[in-house]
Amino acid sequence: MATEQELSDFLKSVERRAFKRSVYHVRNEESALDIVQDSMMKLAEHYGHKPPAELPMLFQRILSNCTLDWFRRQKTRNALFSNFSDFEVPGDDGEFDLLDSLDLQNHTDRTESAESSTQRAQTLRAIELEIQELPARQREAFLMRYWEELDVAETALAMGCSEGSVKTHCSRAVQALGQALRAKGITL
Amino acid sequence: MTNSQQYQNQLAQERFGLLVTARLSDAAESLPHDISERLRASRVQALGKRKVLAPHSATRLALSGGDGSPSFGQEDLSWWDRVAAAIPLLALVLGLIAINMIQNDNRANELAEIDAALLTDDLPPAAYADPGFTQFLKMSSGKY
Repeated sequence: MATEQELSDFLKSVERRAFKRSVYHVRNEESALDIVQDSMMKLAEHYGHKPPAELPMLFQRILSNCTLDWFRRQKTRNALFSNFSDFEVPGDDGEFDLLDSLDLQNHTDRTESAESSTQRAQTLRAIELEIQELPARQREAFLMRYWEELDVAETALAMGCSEGSVKTHCSRAVQALGQALRAKGITL
Repeated sequence: MTNSQQYQNQLAQERFGLLVTARLSDAAESLPHDISERLRASRVQALGKRKVLAPHSATRLALSGGDGSPSFGQEDLSWWDRVAAAIPLLALVLGLIAINMIQNDNRANELAEIDAALLTDDLPPAAYADPGFTQFLKMSSGKY
């Protein structure tokens, strides 16, 4: 069972990423704060007695559900968010050559310290914009897999879908991000 | 696509994902102060709602020396809630019992008053059962 300190440490370790992820989803800081607060309270209230090892998965699931609830409430209140096509699995559009798309190998020797702070900020802003442009499921899978560092099985469990779907979402998200960033002349 | 190509694609995908999210982590670490403070406040509020199992809290109280100051955690609160919820029900039952007792007393007093009036009257109670006396009363009322 997680002690209060362990729970506090866990929340402290995830709250910033959770906030940013919510911002990418809902594109509103106030709503994102509400979602993160709801998620933290639900975790503490209902799962505060769980072992620390179970908290990350539980929190990811709660955060996803809270975000989905927010979209549902928005849809009920007004028709601004009536387009839920982003939540559907997109159709199969064939394979692609990731290596061609990403163009990573030619820039491995470029260190981040070589960039000016302005360039870094611009790059970051571009990345954030492109992440916001991703379909919701792709964005969720991508951020859980690579930011929260969940494995495929854990991501599938948190998203309530199959492992194959997670792989597909991640692959398409990487493809879309790679193409979009390359089109803007941004290399990582 | 060969297995080798698939593997290389997968590696490139993971590498790209980690590079992107490393940038995002930088952004997350440099959140504005007000956002950080609001997140901290949310965390503190969430910890206040933390669910603690009863045996654990009892153990923790014992381990901490049992200073006798009960913390109003979730379990204590729900216990008090249950007691508080039972109070109106208890008051209702006690009220009904009291009303029943008072009504019984009132009825007994009324009967006692009637009995006392009959017994202390000049006319003996047996006279009311006497047909001759009844006839006498009828004749008397007809006369006057």
